[in-house]
Amino acid sequence: MPILRRILTRLLVGIGVLWGAATLTFLAVHLIPGDTALLILGGPDARPTAETLAQVRSDYLLDQPFIVQYGSYLGNLLQGDLGQSYRLRLPVTDAIGQQIGATAALAAAAVAVALPLTLAVAVLSAQRANWIRSIVSGVEVVLAATPTFIIGFALLIVFSFSLRWFPIGGNQGMAALVLPALTLGLAIFGTLSQVLRNELEDVLEQPFILTARSRGMRDLPVRMRHALRHAAIPVMTMSGFVVAALLGGSVIVETLFSRQGIGSLTLASVYNKDLPVIIGIVLLSAAVYVVVNLVIDLLYTLIDPKVVTA
Amino acid sequence: MNASVIPPARNRRQARRLTALSAVALVALVSGCAGPASSTSEATGEPVSGGVLDVSISAEPGCLDGHGISATQQQFLGRLIYDNVVTLDENGDIAPYLAESWDISEDGRTYTFHLKEGVTFSDGSPWNAEVLGQNFEHMRDPATKSPLAAAYIAPYVDGTVIDEYTFEAHLEYPYTPFLYTLAQSWLGMNSGKAIAEAPETLCQQPIGTGPFTVADYQPGQSISYTKREGYDWAPEWLEGDGEAYLDGVEVTLVSEPVIRHQSLVSGQYDLTENLAPQNAAAVQANPDFTYENLPRTGSPYVLSFNLSRAPFDDLAVRQAFAAAVDTAAVTESLGFGTYTPIDGFLSKESKYYDPTVEGTLTHDPERANQLLDDAGWSGRDGEGFRTKDGRRLVVEVPTVESSTPSPLLVQLQGEARKVGFDLRIIQLPQAQLSELRYAGDYDALAGVWHTNTTDVLFIRYHSSEITGERIGQNSSYVDDPALDELLLAARESDDGPEAEEAYSKAQHRLLEIVPGLPLYENPSQFAYAKTVHDVAVDTSHPVPVLTYAWKAE
Repeated sequence: MPILRRILTRLLVGIGVLWGAATLTFLAVHLIPGDTALLILGGPDARPTAETLAQVRSDYLLDQPFIVQYGSYLGNLLQGDLGQSYRLRLPVTDAIGQQIGATAALAAAAVAVALPLTLAVAVLSAQRANWIRSIVSGVEVVLAATPTFIIGFALLIVFSFSLRWFPIGGNQGMAALVLPALTLGLAIFGTLSQVLRNELEDVLEQPFILTARSRGMRDLPVRMRHALRHAAIPVMTMSGFVVAALLGGSVIVETLFSRQGIGSLTLASVYNKDLPVIIGIVLLSAAVYVVVNLVIDLLYTLIDPKVVTA
Repeated sequence: MNASVIPPARNRRQARRLTALSAVALVALVSGCAGPASSTSEATGEPVSGGVLDVSISAEPGCLDGHGISATQQQFLGRLIYDNVVTLDENGDIAPYLAESWDISEDGRTYTFHLKEGVTFSDGSPWNAEVLGQNFEHMRDPATKSPLAAAYIAPYVDGTVIDEYTFEAHLEYPYTPFLYTLAQSWLGMNSGKAIAEAPETLCQQPIGTGPFTVADYQPGQSISYTKREGYDWAPEWLEGDGEAYLDGVEVTLVSEPVIRHQSLVSGQYDLTENLAPQNAAAVQANPDFTYENLPRTGSPYVLSFNLSRAPFDDLAVRQAFAAAVDTAAVTESLGFGTYTPIDGFLSKESKYYDPTVEGTLTHDPERANQLLDDAGWSGRDGEGFRTKDGRRLVVEVPTVESSTPSPLLVQLQGEARKVGFDLRIIQLPQAQLSELRYAGDYDALAGVWHTNTTDVLFIRYHSSEITGERIGQNSSYVDDPALDELLLAARESDDGPEAEEAYSKAQHRLLEIVPGLPLYENPSQFAYAKTVHDVAVDTSHPVPVLTYAWKAE
């Protein structure tokens, strides 16, 4: 059962990664200078009483040595308890749970923009005339290199401010999802499409393609059936980049489009130094990576059986 | 975030050029952006019932229980769902609200509140003397983690329920600001039932007696309010009766100022509670919108000097710094012409403001140089900064880190440099900043303190408010017996000529101490569509009150 063993190993590694992420974040947060209790009580515009300050210190174990705090944190973590958000006065799991749906919808919509676009553009533009490739890759580079904020802002100016086709922001309905998904999807497409086209062009040089063509197979089926399958594997290794782009991009996109979600929560938590939530989001991101890598790993074996024996 | 694999060099150059071009094009587009072509000119007549008002706000407190937060936005949000024990009327005087009347004992230490009958919370529970007591306890319960309300009622020792609608509050010492603070949005009344049964739910599901109730709260995104059926106890100054006209209010967080402006003029929102100064001119010029720019009472924006250490322990150096800065010019450019410069330590809208303080602290670089020469800061080093005994005249100003340094501090740096100050802006994470602040490890700090009582001068400048055992707001470390006496006398005397005289003397005394450099009034800048009528403004906090606002379709 090599597949099962692989999955099990991967899972163990994943748990190690999560533990490492939790520990590192906890340590990093602990090393940030400053009094956490004062932060919890609202920074400069606060006049908390001495009793309140003492209560906060004992509530959050801030009067305990590091090892006690870490131990308690890890113990709670094992029970699925990520602690309490300082700012929202809610369990971190609730704070994140409230927001995860909106970001998942945004991410799914962005992927729904990026993947078909990548496939269509890369497959159709590989090995075409130089001027076509120049135009297409020029557009891709611009999309990949332009900060997400600028792309989103440009879309807003054209389609919301001027044409008024879409709302300027918010989470209301599908219309409000279009521009954010485009903003995030286009940036991902810009990168993936370049990689996929390069791979396709390499594959299309291979002898077996020539063989297929000489058997009278038409151009598009050759590209779709033969070339794509081989070119897809290196592109799949980019999944980590896609996840990073989705998570990182959601911070910008959700802020720009006034959307709810993990991105907005991240920004608000960092801005307010809401440490338990920050750690929770780091863990969530790490977990997403672990799961995505596991899934990609399994997909490899489906697409390319050679991988298993490798 | 830049998502890109490294493209070939030729492409990279091209990309940068295009990005630069698109940025230029963006700016051109933004500045050439036209507002909506609609115009509304229906005569304002009878209020229309119904409709939902769409509001955008610039920040979201994360908790809606006023007792547990100190966020600025609560000034506006609190008025939607809470009522208070008392209110400030259109003249800024204490007026009945959930208390119909009150008696204050001769020694100023016992307040007897006679409460309005027949008021209910949106969970059906009644408003009565017991509930008032519960609210005082909830404010000061350490579990509430109150950063503000608890401090405002600090003199409250305990209370007695005399009968169902009579409550006696006992104070440790006479404290005239008591009623004023009870009128503030952060001190709205929560349901006693909720406080008793589930205080931890109040942040997410606050229960008040106010004109609206929270129907749905999505932290970081939106708050939906619906009209409270049967509401009938608005304060008199609102000049309305019964329930709100609006069916609801939909409040959405829109943190980007440019998007707040655009989404307002495009009609996606009817009102925004915080319009950035750079957008004020465009909205003012737009016939479809009403723009308000109202100063908040309390302490204006002040660069507070730390009097407890060099160089600002020397009065001459403080006077010199104040004379060196052209506050009018700094204010003008910072606020795009919307900020009002000020040269005293109390907002002009505050009760007992004394206009005779004006014109004392003036921009006079010559005098600044003379003062510094006389104070011994007469040397100059290689970079042109002043020195004394080989030490440079350095002023360290910590501020919260951001991608661009605070425009205010950058301008002050330039102004102070002209007379030989080396003002250094130190950007720090919030946690470290708080720690420095409470440790007194800085030369100056920029800040503001809004409250509806002139007791703000006590909060900011009384020696007992220096951070020690507890956190205080006297960040200038002013420790002046004469001033202490005046501020204590003022807070202990009833409203009237005695308080007026003490506050007037205190304001003048502050000009002699120069605990900081006053900069500009702390403004409340909001805007709304002309289709929205009867947006009232509170005198505690100059923010929109929507109780009897209505929308013409």
